Amino acid sequence: MMRNWKSSINHIILLAYMLVILYPFLFVIFSSLKADNVTIASNPFGFPTEFYWDNYVNAWVNAKISTYFWNSLYIALLCAVVSIFIGAMASFAITRMRYAKLSLFFFGLITVGMLIPNNSLMLPIYLLIRKMGILNTHMALIVPYIANAIPFTVIILAAFMRSLPGEIEEAAVVDGLRAPGIFARVVLPLTVPALVTVFIINFLGNWNEYLLANYFLSEDALRTLPVGMVGFRDAYQTNYAQMSAGIVFSVVPVMVIYAVLQEQIIEGLTAGGVKG
Amino acid sequence: MKKSLTLLLTLIFVASAALTGCGSNNTETQANGSDKGTETKTEEPKKAEPFELKLRHTQVGDAKKNRFAILEEVVKTTQGENEGLTIKLDGVESDINRKEKLRGEMAAGDIPDIFDVFGSPDAKLYAGQGKMLDLTPILDELGIKDKFTGLGPFTLDGKVYGLPIGASAEGVFYNKEYFTAKGFKVPTTWAEWEKLLADVKADGKTPLAGASKAAWVPLMVTNQLWSRTAGPEFAKGFATGDAKWTDPTMVKAFAKHKEWVDKGYFKKGELGFEYAELQTQFVSGEAAMMFDGTWQSSIFKAGGIGEKMIGKVGFFNVPAIDGGQGDQTAMMQDTNNGYGFSAKVAEDPRKLAAVKSFIKNLYTEDMQIRGLVEDGVLPAMLVDKAKIDANVTDPLMKEIATVLAGTTSSFPAFDALVQADVNTTLSIEIQKLIGGQTTPEKLAEAVQKVQDEANGQ
Amino acid sequence: MNKALRNPITYALFLLPALILFVMFFIYPTITAVYYSFTNWDGVSSTMKFIGFKNYTKALGDEAFWKSVLNNGYFIFFSCFIQVPLIILFSLLIANVKKLRGFYKTAVFMPSVMSTAVIGILWSFIYQPEIGLMNQVLGIFGIDPIYWLSEQKYAMWAILITNAWQWTGFYVVMVLAAILAIPKDLEEAASIDGATGVQRAFKITLPLIMPIVSVVIMLSIAGAMKAADIVLVMTKGGPAGSTDVMATYMIRYAITNFKYGFGNTIAVLIFIFTAIITLVYQLVLARRSERIEY
Repeated sequence: MMRNWKSSINHIILLAYMLVILYPFLFVIFSSLKADNVTIASNPFGFPTEFYWDNYVNAWVNAKISTYFWNSLYIALLCAVVSIFIGAMASFAITRMRYAKLSLFFFGLITVGMLIPNNSLMLPIYLLIRKMGILNTHMALIVPYIANAIPFTVIILAAFMRSLPGEIEEAAVVDGLRAPGIFARVVLPLTVPALVTVFIINFLGNWNEYLLANYFLSEDALRTLPVGMVGFRDAYQTNYAQMSAGIVFSVVPVMVIYAVLQEQIIEGLTAGGVKG
Repeated sequence: MKKSLTLLLTLIFVASAALTGCGSNNTETQANGSDKGTETKTEEPKKAEPFELKLRHTQVGDAKKNRFAILEEVVKTTQGENEGLTIKLDGVESDINRKEKLRGEMAAGDIPDIFDVFGSPDAKLYAGQGKMLDLTPILDELGIKDKFTGLGPFTLDGKVYGLPIGASAEGVFYNKEYFTAKGFKVPTTWAEWEKLLADVKADGKTPLAGASKAAWVPLMVTNQLWSRTAGPEFAKGFATGDAKWTDPTMVKAFAKHKEWVDKGYFKKGELGFEYAELQTQFVSGEAAMMFDGTWQSSIFKAGGIGEKMIGKVGFFNVPAIDGGQGDQTAMMQDTNNGYGFSAKVAEDPRKLAAVKSFIKNLYTEDMQIRGLVEDGVLPAMLVDKAKIDANVTDPLMKEIATVLAGTTSSFPAFDALVQADVNTTLSIEIQKLIGGQTTPEKLAEAVQKVQDEANGQ
Repeated sequence: MNKALRNPITYALFLLPALILFVMFFIYPTITAVYYSFTNWDGVSSTMKFIGFKNYTKALGDEAFWKSVLNNGYFIFFSCFIQVPLIILFSLLIANVKKLRGFYKTAVFMPSVMSTAVIGILWSFIYQPEIGLMNQVLGIFGIDPIYWLSEQKYAMWAILITNAWQWTGFYVVMVLAAILAIPKDLEEAASIDGATGVQRAFKITLPLIMPIVSVVIMLSIAGAMKAADIVLVMTKGGPAGSTDVMATYMIRYAITNFKYGFGNTIAVLIFIFTAIITLVYQLVLARRSERIEY
C-alpha cells in the first residue's frame, strides 16, 4: 500500500516535469496550424479548429530549412568524426607510447585548452580564418569546430586509454603489430564506449553552435540551422503561426533521428565509463 | 569501477586546475612556433568564363517584398547584359546587416561586391579605409552625377562611394477611420498634440505603437523631439564639441519622451518587441498612431500586411513645441540608405563592368518612380514633377508629399552625425529611460561622457 | 615491445594533427587576443596604437561590464543552486520507478538535442506577453500578464529558465546512469537495516553519486561562462544591456562599435575570470568530493 502511494507521488512529480518538457512542443505544433496571431490568442491551448497548412508551405519556401538542415547535419557529423579520430590518435600517443615526459607536457598543454572559453576568442579566430582565406566557406566552421573539440576529446579518451591494462599491447607486439596496428586493431576497438560518448557530446556541440556560424558565414545558402532559423525569425517575426511551422520543420528531423537512435544516444552518453 | 566516467571527468578539472599555474609559461614558449602555423594566402579568384557578384541586400520579410521584386528585376537585367554573370543575392535583416555583418566583414576584408550600406557615418568610415569603390568615374561616364538630390552622406573628400536608393522622412502615421469615429483631428499645435495623445489613451487605446527591442526605433521619436526643443541643427554640434547632450533643451526632449512613456502613450512592454511589431500594433488597430519612416507606407499597398487599411491611413508632421528652438516644421529627411561596392571590384574589369550596368539599371528615373509607386520610397534622384503626379495615385503617398511640401527644413538622423559608440551608449540609455532605470539628466550625462571620449580620439 | 611503441616518427605523426590545430585555435588566438588588448585597433584600419592598460581600466571601470559579469554569475548561481538539486531529485525519482522509466529517460533528454537558437526562438514565443504560453498559463491562476523579455527584472529569469529547460535533462541522464550503476546489494543492505527511501537517498545514494554531481556542477559552470547564443537569440543583451553576459558585451562593443582592441581586452578578462572560478571551485569544492570507493 505504502509503496504504491509513494510511487504514485513519484509519478505525479515526474509527469509534471514531463508536461513542462513536452507541452511547449505541443503548443508550437498547435500554433503552427492556426490562421494567425488572433486565432492563437483566442484559443492558446487547444487543438486548432481549422487547419492552416499554408503556414507550412510558406515556412518551407521562405526559410529554406532543408538547406540549413543538411548544412548543419553534415558539418556536425564530419567534425565530430574527424575530431575524435585526431583526438584518439593523440590520446594513443600520449598514453600508450613510451615518451612519458614529453607526453605529460603535451597533455598538460592541451588540458589548459579546457580553461580557454573559446567563444571569447572569436575575434582572433575570425582574423585567423580570414588569413587562411576560408571565410565564407564551410571550412570556416569545420576547422574551428574540429579544433575546439580537441581538448575535451583528448582528455576523455586519454583517461580511458590509460585505464586499459598494459598486457593487451604485449600480446599485440608479440603478434608483430607496430604502433599504428596496435592503435587501429587493439586500442581503438576497446575504446569504443568512450568514443561514442565523446562523439555524441561533440556532435551536439557542433549542431548547436551559433556564434561562429553566425559571424563567419554570410551567405544564405551556407547557413546552418541555428543561424538560418534566427534569420527566418528576424524576417517574419510577428507571424507566430508561420514561425511555429518553421520551428516544427527544424525540430522534427532531429526528433525522428533521436527517436530512432535514442537508445544508442543515451546509452552511449553514459556507457563511456559508468557501466565499465 | 575503474573506468568510471565520473572519474574521467573529474580528472579533467583536477588536471586543468593543476596546470593553470604553468599554463601561462607554456603559452609564452609556444608564441614563436605558432606564427609559422598560420600561412597567409591571398589568391585572387581565377578569371573563368562564368563569374559571380555577391549582393547583400536587406529586403527580407513580407513588408519588403515589393522592394525585393524591383531589385530582382534589376539583377535579372544586369545578368542579361553581362555574359557569364551570376549575381548571388544574400538577404539579411537591415539592422543586423548594418551593425553586425557589415562591420565584421569590413574588419575581415571579406566584403560582398555590392552591399546595402548606411552613408554616414558607416560608408564614410569604410571609404576612408579604402574598402569602398570610388564611383565618381562611373557616375561621370553614365552622366547621372547631377541627377541625385543628395549624395552628401556618401561623399568623402569630393569622391562618391555609394548611391542612395531612396529618400525617407519620419512622421506620424494615424488611423483615419478611428480618428473620424472618435472625432479626433490632426493636431496643429503642441497643446492639441498632447491632448490628442491623452484622449486616445483615455479612450482605452494605445496612442503610439511601441517596439523598442532595437533602440533606433524609439530614438526616432526622441530625435524628432529634440529637433523641436533644441532645434534641427543642434545635433550637428555633438561630434565637433560645439553642442552638448546635457544642454537643457536636450534634457527637455528626453524628459518629454519619458513623460509619454510614464503616461502610457506607448505600447506597454515595448522593450521586448521587435521593430515589425510596430506595424502589427498599428495595423491591428491596437495603436491609433505610429511614429515611423515613410518607407513603411509600402505595407499599406495591395498584398502588404496593412492591405485592409488602404485609404484609411494618414500622415502628419509633429507640431511646433512652445518655446522650441529653430525651425519648428523640420522633419527627419535623408538619403542615407543605399548601395555601396567593394573596392576589390576594380581589380576585375568584368566585375567592374557588371557593377556599372547594375548602377545604370537601378538608378533610373523609371526605377525611382516605381520605387515610389510600388513601394512608397521617396525618390533620391531628380524626377520630373509631372511624371510623379501622373503616376502617384495612392492617397497616402499624396498626403506624405503634401506634408513634405509643408516643411521648410529638414535634419539628418542623429546616427549619421555621431560616432558609433555614442550611438551604442544612447541606445542603451534610451532603453534604460523607457524601463525607468535612469533619469533624463543622467542619460544626458552618460551619453556626453562617451561623446567627449569619442571626440578626443 | 618498447621498440614498437617508441618510434619518434610515429609518435609525432599521431600527435601532430591535434597539436597543430590546438596551437592554431587556442594558443595563437590567445596570444593575439592579449596583443590586441593593449591596442586601440578599430578592426578596419591598417594602423593602431599601443595604449597600455587603458582598455583594461576602461572595462573594469565600466558599470555595464560588471553587470555582464554579474549576469554570468547569475547563470552559475542558478545552475548550482536551483538546477543541480532539481537534477538530483529528478534522477532519484526516475531511478525509483519501474514503470515508464524508459519514457522519462527519453523525454527528458529531448530538449538537449535541439539547437539552442531554435530553443531561444521557441521560448521567445512562449514568453510573448499577449499570446505566449507562459502568460496564458499564469492567466489561469489570475496572474496579470508579465512582460518577460521587456522588463529588466524578468528578462534574466526568462533566459535562465529557458537555459535550465534545455540542459536539465542532459544532466539527469548522466546522474541517472551513475545511480543505476550503484551495486544493488548496498541498497538492499540499507533497506534491511530499516532505512527509509529518503534516508537511503541521503545516506547512500547521494554520497556515491557526488563525483558525477561534481562533474555536472563543473560542466554547468563551464556552460555558464560560455553562454552567449541563448542571450543573443532571445534578447540581444537587452533591454538596456540588462541581460548582457561577458561574451555578448564583447560582441556589442567590439563589432558594433569598431573597437577590436577593447573587444580583445574583454576576451582576455573572460579567460582570467574563467580561470579564477575554475581554480576556486577546485580548491573549495572538488577536493572534498574527490573519489569515493565503492
